[in-house]
Amino acid sequence: MLLFRSEAHVENWLKGRTGGATIPVTKLAELSDAWWSTRLAPDWRPRAAGEGQSILDRLGLTGEFWNFG
Amino acid sequence: MDAADLELRNATYARFIALGRAPSAAEMGAYAGMPPDALRDAWRRLHGDILMANPFSAVRTPFRVDAAGRSWFANCAWDAFGIGSALHVDSTIHTACADCHEPLDIQVRDGLPADRSLVFHVLVPASSWWNDIGFT
Repeated sequence: MLLFRSEAHVENWLKGRTGGATIPVTKLAELSDAWWSTRLAPDWRPRAAGEGQSILDRLGLTGEFWNFG
Repeated sequence: MDAADLELRNATYARFIALGRAPSAAEMGAYAGMPPDALRDAWRRLHGDILMANPFSAVRTPFRVDAAGRSWFANCAWDAFGIGSALHVDSTIHTACADCHEPLDIQVRDGLPADRSLVFHVLVPASSWWNDIGFT
């Protein structure tokens, strides 16, 4: 889970290997906020099954790559 | 995770934030009123959750985050953005492009990065993230 200056830098870093998924840093910021914003709440509880997948789905991170299985 | 472990987990996170680092077993035992051995047993049960105290890292990483008047370390780029979100404050992430190693100092205001040209790459599909979370 790494940051790059651009998609061209991702391609250069992969050096011909098969990559995973690349998303804009703005989408990452949205994802992180949805994932972590309640982490320090005094009434925090572990996520129910499927809740993590729902977060990805809501942000449009769908398809086989983003499926927890 | 039973109610007592959950309470200890949340208290551990609170001490992590208050101290700006991971609390020792002695510090946490004194805070929680638990003998150190009992505390260590409980931490072992919570191992999967608080080893990294996500999104915070107890050890130095390539993702340093300035937030709430302190510097923290995050385990990955996802977690680096998560520190500001968890603390509900603006932040600045200090890292580098994984390809060219040029330093990246990313100001995050109201949840959005000032430099919106950057991209995030995930190499491993979600179904395999927890097979080796360190590699992921």
